[in-house]
Parts: sequence; structure tokens; C-alpha cells
Amino acid sequence: MARPYALLRAGFPFLKTIGMRRWNNFPTDVALGNEGRIYILCRSEQGLVQIARLTWDDRNLEPICMGRGSEDGQFTWPVNVLVDRDEHLLVSDEALHRITLVDRDGGFISKWGEQGDGDGQFDRPSGIVFDADENVYVADSMNHRIQKYTKNGEFLHQWGSYGDGDGELNMPWGVTIDELGDVYVVDWRNDRIQKFTTDGEFVFSLGRSGSGDGEFDRPTGVAVDQDGDIYVCDYGNNRVQLFSAEGRYVEQFIGDATLSKPARDYMMTNPEPNRMREMTKLEPGKRLRSPKSVRVDDLGKMYIPDYDSFRVQVYQKEAIHLTPDQIAPPLRSPHLLG
Amino acid sequence: MANTDLALMGHLMRRAGFGATRDELEAYAARGYENVVDDLLNPEKFPPVEEDLIQRYYDSKENPILAAGVWIYRMVNTKRHLEEKMSLFWHQVFATSQFKVKHTRSLVAQIKMFRSFGLSDMRTLLTELSGDPAMIFFLDNHTNLKEEPNENYGRELLELFSMGVGNYSEEDIKMAARAFTGWTVSQPIPVYPQGGHPAEFVYREEEHDDSVKTFLGETGRFNGGDIVDIVARQPATAKFVSRHLYNYFVADEPQVSSWHDMPPHDPGAIDALSEAYTDSGGDIRAIMRVLLNSDFFKEARFKKVKSPAELVAGIMKLVGTHKTPEAGITEYSTATAVMGQELLNPPTVEGWHTGKEWIDGGILGERVNFAADQVGDVTKPGVRSMVDRISASGSSLSPDETVVACLDVLGPVQPGDETRAALLRHATSAGTLRFDSEKEREKSSAQIVRMFQLVVASREFQFA
Repeated sequence: MARPYALLRAGFPFLKTIGMRRWNNFPTDVALGNEGRIYILCRSEQGLVQIARLTWDDRNLEPICMGRGSEDGQFTWPVNVLVDRDEHLLVSDEALHRITLVDRDGGFISKWGEQGDGDGQFDRPSGIVFDADENVYVADSMNHRIQKYTKNGEFLHQWGSYGDGDGELNMPWGVTIDELGDVYVVDWRNDRIQKFTTDGEFVFSLGRSGSGDGEFDRPTGVAVDQDGDIYVCDYGNNRVQLFSAEGRYVEQFIGDATLSKPARDYMMTNPEPNRMREMTKLEPGKRLRSPKSVRVDDLGKMYIPDYDSFRVQVYQKEAIHLTPDQIAPPLRSPHLLG
Repeated sequence: MANTDLALMGHLMRRAGFGATRDELEAYAARGYENVVDDLLNPEKFPPVEEDLIQRYYDSKENPILAAGVWIYRMVNTKRHLEEKMSLFWHQVFATSQFKVKHTRSLVAQIKMFRSFGLSDMRTLLTELSGDPAMIFFLDNHTNLKEEPNENYGRELLELFSMGVGNYSEEDIKMAARAFTGWTVSQPIPVYPQGGHPAEFVYREEEHDDSVKTFLGETGRFNGGDIVDIVARQPATAKFVSRHLYNYFVADEPQVSSWHDMPPHDPGAIDALSEAYTDSGGDIRAIMRVLLNSDFFKEARFKKVKSPAELVAGIMKLVGTHKTPEAGITEYSTATAVMGQELLNPPTVEGWHTGKEWIDGGILGERVNFAADQVGDVTKPGVRSMVDRISASGSSLSPDETVVACLDVLGPVQPGDETRAALLRHATSAGTLRFDSEKEREKSSAQIVRMFQLVVASREFQFA
């Protein structure tokens, strides 16, 4: 579907909270499966590494417990998870310097990558994304570059080098691709997003260091929806920022979480925490805390793994496509009356 | 470069920091002792540890083992050595434990406070401590209320945190407790179901006993801040804090619980530090300047048993790992815990028993095995670097030269006659080390690494 000419942005309300402590501790990424299945990649320095498997209607399908280590199918520092057409899961691991494919029950399928700086090698691979052909782009963070592979790990192409100029990267984290094939890279330590063509030609840069609108503090994730809108997970500022396809700041999301259904069920048998909740301000409990990625689906939902709060916050985009006769041409100067 | 300069610098960096590599020691020695002391006392001259890397790779505010591991990472990587050492010192003195607080965020915030204020002055430190959520909860001051005072914090403030036993009365404890009524914490959102939140200091005036109190001979409507003011200017506080600093930085003293009955080993040193306290209004930086430049400090080499944190961090610095965050940092916080020092979780409000009580038969084995495992791995960059340094010193090394070179690069370590003889026996059995061919180099490198392991397994290596 072609991008709309313009949008009537009607709102972007909070929709739902998914998960709770114990179900999905320290969620670092989320991926959507079929039939409402939601895969939440959880990362922790001790204990099991796991992918929580929840559903949109709040069922817990039991996590995939990966085991911490370097054996096939194990993980140590997982960063991102993707779901392919077969609902297999692709996971990047920045301690093992490899990408692993498992089935949706965690059964090992294949792996590729080793530590190094040559073609086909990684140094702390972090963000990953499929393109339309299920090729994989990898943010190879300590090599300060993007690499492209087939899903089986055959090296195709790479670009990037260390620096802060156009096209240069400093420890990139998240990466995504829009429906036109352009690649968006979270240039983590440069506090910006860079857009490239599919071959790595620089298109534009978005953002700078700071906490104001359009500024970032160590951004971690990026997503682009079917309208071309760009979502940036602004970790250090505990928010997600929304930009138009041209990079114009639109709005931000700081978190509006409620208690998820399983959380409410849990609390019904916990009198003491219930009392503690009655003794304090609850507003901080709504807010995003150290979000590590942002994902969007085809239905306009935005998913934000809320790392420090053991949940995923979901918002719903409400926007109407406009044709050229429904919106005035760009105005050279602002108007006060409308 | 004179070895005495290096040996003294090694001593300084072991005590005021967590050790240093040979390359670092040479750079410090070239700078000069007094300049390095000045650098240590002015940590703001140096950049802090890169927080963004810690947050990217070690982000967890609820796991105490990870938080302790991250603290060890800071010890290894900080350029603000004394600042970090002071945070560990105050953690020992103002002991606050996870087993009761059960709120890692608050404990991490407390350590951050020690890092920020550890070189300030006692009045500032005690004020910060009195308003610290972890401390308030640990010593029950959140239940110290106007109609129902709880004396726990008031007692420990006087007994363990400032003046020491014998310098105040039971009535003073009661008055201190009443002055601190209303000093409490906000109720944070509970940990379940969606993660813990920070606690903050809150002063509840309605819970405060505003009556007239007489404390250490002074009378007034004292609040907690007034108690801190009075305590901070007491000569007993000067002496007590000075003895703590001596015990931690100079030479092992008896355990704190016997200080009332057992005089200090070096009363003159304590007097000198107390004088610095009094002259400076309790300024820790000023006291440490006197301490680090004193003869009693410089002559106290290897007179302190390394704490587990010092041992582990020091070894990590030598072997050169974790210069950026790496997986497995909790291995090191687990190691210090197994050795008897679980960071963020001292066993009581008195802190850990230090000095020779760090070591018993089982713990000695843990310490030796840890150190030997680490330095025995030539794939570790620091080990490789030390081996290469020794290998480059000539085309061959006699047994005696091998022993000297290994002791030098690992400290320098000063073994006693018995240890030196044992090392020499081992080096002699290996013969002269040669580096003429690749094969000889490899064989000699293995011998050097074995010598490293023997050195770190020695009795003397347990001392700083």
C-alpha cells in the first residue's frame, strides 16, 4: 500500500499493558507471532534467559527458557528478537557475537556469526531486522557498522565506520526497514537516527543529544509504520518519540500504563502491597522506565517493552489518510486562525 | 626509574585505590608522589566511569548481585581511584544491608551518595546519611515517631558512626533519637507487580518531637541536623573517624567493638589525623592529605590484609579484563561474597570484621584459587602483557631474574625470605628461560605464568 499523502492525526491513546513481574522480567524486545502470540525477549544477568510467550488476551503460554551459556540455542546477552514467516524466532546476542534461529518452542535450528571485524563477523551485534525478502540487517555495534545477510547467515553487504559524520556510526543499537526498503539505524552514542538506502547510502540524520523535543539520550530502538512515521525509543529520556516520515517531531509517549489483567489478578491476593499502593503517588508507576525497543504492527499498534517495569505498554494509532484535496498545501508561515 | 619510587607508588595505589598495572605505576611514578596524592584527592580532575556503557550492558536496578558486580566494574575502571575507595570505606563504616533493606535501588543510591560525598566533611556526610532512605529503613528510623521513639539510629549514630562507645550517655541516645523523629522515607510503589521504585527522604513535621532536649551538654529544640552539628565538632568524633581511616588505609587495628578497651597501635598517628580533623572542621579530604603524605602511611607497606573487594578488583586490573562491560560480572561479586564480603550486604551494622579475620582456612583457599585462576590465563590481555614485558627484557632470564621480574610486575610484591626461597626453588627447577625461538618463547611464557600463580598464592600477596 502506498504511503498516504497526509494524515489527520486523531490521537494515539494508550491501549493496554501486557505482562508483569515474574512473567517477563526485564523485557528488552518484543515480537509478534500469529494468532495473538506475543514473544517478549527477557534479559537478566543471572538466572534463566527466556522468551516469555503471552497472548493478546493475557494468557501465559509459558516461557521458552533458553539457558544461559554458549551452547546451541543458549543465550547470554540477547538484544533483539524477530519472528519470521514460519514463526521461527531470530535472536541477536551481543556477548556470543552471533545470531540464532529457534522454533517457537525454543528448539534450536541454526546459528551464525563469530567475533571479529571481518565480513561476516560481529563485535556485539545488537539490533536486527528482516527486509521484505527475509534478509537480515544487523547493527554490528562495536564494529560501528551495519551488515546484511541472508537468513542463513550468508554475508551480503556492509557499510559504516566509526565517527559522528554523515553515514558514520558510534555503537549502533536498533535497526529497522520501511516498506520502501530504506534502513533506519539507531546511532546510539551519537544520539541520533540515520536513514540509509538499502545499499547504505546516507539519506538523512534525525536528532541530537538532549532531552527536548527531537532530542535523544542514548536512543535504543526505532520503528517505521506503514504511513512512514518514525518511532524512536529514547531510552535515557524514558520515552518514545514520534516523527513524520520527513523527520518532523510530532509527539512523545512517556507511559500511561495500567495494571495488566494478570497483575490485577496477582494483587487480589496481596494485601500488603495493596496497602502500600494506597499510601503513595501512583503516577510514577505509569511511566516508561528504561525502554529498550519499540515495535509497530500493521494495525497501528505501538509496543514498548518497558524494561524496568516488567511489562509492555501498547498504544493505538488513530489516523485518517488524507488526499491532496483534504489538506492545504504546505504553509510558508504559521497562521493563528484555522 | 628507582624501584623505591615504584614500590611506594604501588603501595599508594593499593591503599588509595584498587591497585595498578606496571605501566600505570610507571606513569604515576613519573608524575611524582605528591602530585599523585593531589590527583587522588581531587577526583573531579578525571572523567567518571562511562555510565552509558554500564546502562547499556548492565542495566538492572533490582538485582543486588549484579549491582555489586557493577560496583566492582567501577572499582576496576575508575580514574577517580580514591573517590571509589572512599565509597567502599564508608560502606564499611556506615554499614547498611540488603538482608533487611531488601531494596537494591536504595542501596545503590546510598553507595552513589558515598561516592559523591565521601571526600567532603563529616557534617555533610552525617547529614546525607541521616536522610538516606536505605539507612533510615535499615536502622528503623522510619518508625521513630514523636509518641513512640525508636532509638536504633540515634544509638548507632553515636556508637558506630561518629564518637564511639564511652563518649556519650544513654540519655544522649534518647535525645538524639527524639531529635530524629519525623525523619522518614516516602512510601515507594511496591515491587509487585511491576518493579520497584526509588524511595525518597521525607521529613514529617507532625511526627517530630520538637521539645527541648539536652544533648552532650547543650540544650535546645534540637532537630536531627542540630545533633549532626554537635556530633561533628566533638573531639571524640575526630578521634573515632581518624582511627577508622587509620584502620582502613594504614594498618589493621583490632575490631571496632574493642576500640573502647584497646588503644590504637599508633596513638601519634591518630593524634595527627585528629588534629587535621579539628583544624579543617572535619574535612575528610584534608585528613586524607595528611594521612597519604605521612611517614606512618608510607612505612606501612603490606601491613593490611586485602579485603575481598580489594583482592578481586586488584586482580582484575592486573589481568586486564572488563575494561568495557563484559558478560559474567556477577562472577566477581559472587567471588567476593564467597570470600566473606558480600557487597551491599554487610553482616551487621558494624560492617565486616576486617584484617586477619578476612582469612580462615576455607576462605584462604578461595582467595588463592581465584587469583591463581585469573593470572594463569594467558589469553587475558593483562596477563599476556605482563608475560610479553618480561619476555622482552632479554634473550634469557636466570631463575633469580625470573623471580624478580614476576614479583616486580605483579606489585611489586615484597616476599619474605621463606617465600622468596620457595619461588627461587621453583624457578631453578624450570631453569633459565630462553626467548630465542618461538618454541622456547612459548615454553618460557608457560613458566612465567606458573610463577605468577605461585606469587599470587603466596602469603604476602594477601597483604596490601
